[in-house]
Formats: sequence, C-alpha cells, structure tokens
Amino acid sequence: MSTVTVLTPQESLEIRGQCVDDLVLVDRDSLADVLGWELKPQGLCRQSECVPVVNSDLLHGDSVDLRAAASAVGVSSMLADDTDLVALSVPSQRRSEALERRRAPNFVLPDLAGEDCSLDQFAGRKRLLVAFASW
Amino acid sequence: MVIGVALDESADDVRSLTEGISFPVLLDRDHVLAELYAVSNVPTVVWIDEDGAVARPNSAEVGTDMFFKFTGVLPDEHMNLLREWVRSGELPADATTAIPDLDDDEIDARLAFRIAVHLRRRGEPSAADWFAAAAELAPLDFTVRRAALPLQGHSPFGDEFFEFYAEWQEAGRPYHGIPRG
Repeated sequence: MSTVTVLTPQESLEIRGQCVDDLVLVDRDSLADVLGWELKPQGLCRQSECVPVVNSDLLHGDSVDLRAAASAVGVSSMLADDTDLVALSVPSQRRSEALERRRAPNFVLPDLAGEDCSLDQFAGRKRLLVAFASW
Repeated sequence: MVIGVALDESADDVRSLTEGISFPVLLDRDHVLAELYAVSNVPTVVWIDEDGAVARPNSAEVGTDMFFKFTGVLPDEHMNLLREWVRSGELPADATTAIPDLDDDEIDARLAFRIAVHLRRRGEPSAADWFAAAAELAPLDFTVRRAALPLQGHSPFGDEFFEFYAEWQEAGRPYHGIPRG
C-alpha cells in the first residue's frame, strides 16, 4: 500500500494509506494514531467518550476515510492530493475552550534549544502568554 | 511569569529578539497558537491565571514604543493593568470581551499555510501555490499573509507588506482580540 503524509498540529506522520479523489483512505490503526479516535461499532471513540457515526459512512472496504472521521470529531482537513499530503486542524472544541469557556488550552512546543515545554507545566502561576514573531 | 511563543520558522530568526531574556521562549513553526487561540496578528498577549483560566483574552499589547507610529499602542497602560492584576487580582473591564471564533476560511488558511511550510521545508516549489492559497482564504490575517513574506524571500517591510497593510486598514483593521477604543 502507498503512504500518505499527515500533518497534525504537533507533527508530520507517514502512514500507510492512499488518496482517492477527495478521500484519504487509511487503516483503522493509523486512524487512531493520527486522529486519537478509534473507529468502533458504536462510533468514533476516545477513552470513555464516543461520537456516534454510521460505520458504513466512513468505511471503504477495510479502509477508513480519514477526512470524514476527522470532520465527525470537529477536525478540519485539507488535502494536497498531488503530493499525498493531508493537514488536520486543531479540534474546534479545543479553541472553544479558550474563546467561550475561558479555559486556556494546553500546548507543547520546543524552546529555542529544542526542549519540549508546555503551558501546563507552569500551572499555579499567573502567566502572560506572548505570541510574537520576527516578521 | 511570561511565556513567549515565536511564530517563526527557525530559532535563529528570533535569537536577536530574545537576547538576555530569562523567561521561556518557545518556537511555533506550524502556528499551533494561531489555531488554538485564534491568534491573527503579533504581538498578541493572553492573561492566564493560576488555575488555567483565561483572565483577559487576546489583545495587541507591546513591550516597547518602537512601533508606536504604526500601531498607536504604547506599553505603559498595559503594563499598569498587568501589574494591578498580578498584585490584587483586579481585572480591567475589557477582560470580559468575547473574541470571535475563526471562520471556516480562516481555519482552511491555517491548514494551507501548514502545507506550504511543510513543502517549503522539503524544498518543493509547489509551496508557493499553497502560500498563495492561504493568502486568498484569509487575506487580512497577519499570521497567514505577513508570516509568509520572509518564507518567500520578501521583506516583511517591503512593497508586498505595505500593499497588504493598506488592504487591512481599508477593511477596518480586523483582529481576533480586544478592539482598541
């Protein structure tokens, strides 16, 4: 089987799969790896939480349509089909945490020396988050 | 404490800005913050309290008066409000401002931008098409349009920027954050 590059908000992953028209067909294990949600008979599940989906809507033979599955859990996607590349967005409900529920969503990013650092590791202190750039 | 997040392609791009700084500075090459917090321009600051609540949402605040001519923003007022919050927990009235969510095009623009930077890192010329697609989807978003300028060999203060800046002014200076009074 050919490979597809999936750009998640955290990393770029090469997984087994193929692009067919607008669809990105992957196996069930890869779906769970890149999306964090597993396809089960009752729907897309993560720990004890399930989003009901009709399995046959997502399944194409043994493969799952990654983009349809992503959409069902609030993740937008964009396909660069000439290069077998698909980008997945941050789940929309994580942004709602910040904008509507006023909870600061955690993130993990490298510092300038390449060491991973997270917002939550400084919990317990007042934090001024400053987004800046050289441009 | 301050946590700096640079929406830049490489640590080398920001080292000259972070010399002598002791707080953590993180590198956000794929603009995760622009998706997670609906950041549409820099600088954008968010006040986050001890419990992880957003105490005051996105606002365009500055640390110096360097860009006063452009932004009309001085650092003093924000610094005073910030000191008051740290000292007494008191928040300014604008802290309750609701920040609009990204629309579908703004989300798609961020995805197209991520595809563009990935292709650029692989040295693929098609990166240019994706930078263009991103700019078309969110033409007034600095994290999409201005951030792409240096990645395409343009100056962030070149003709392309001033053209964009005029469009943005004309459109009423849209920004995902507390509006300026």
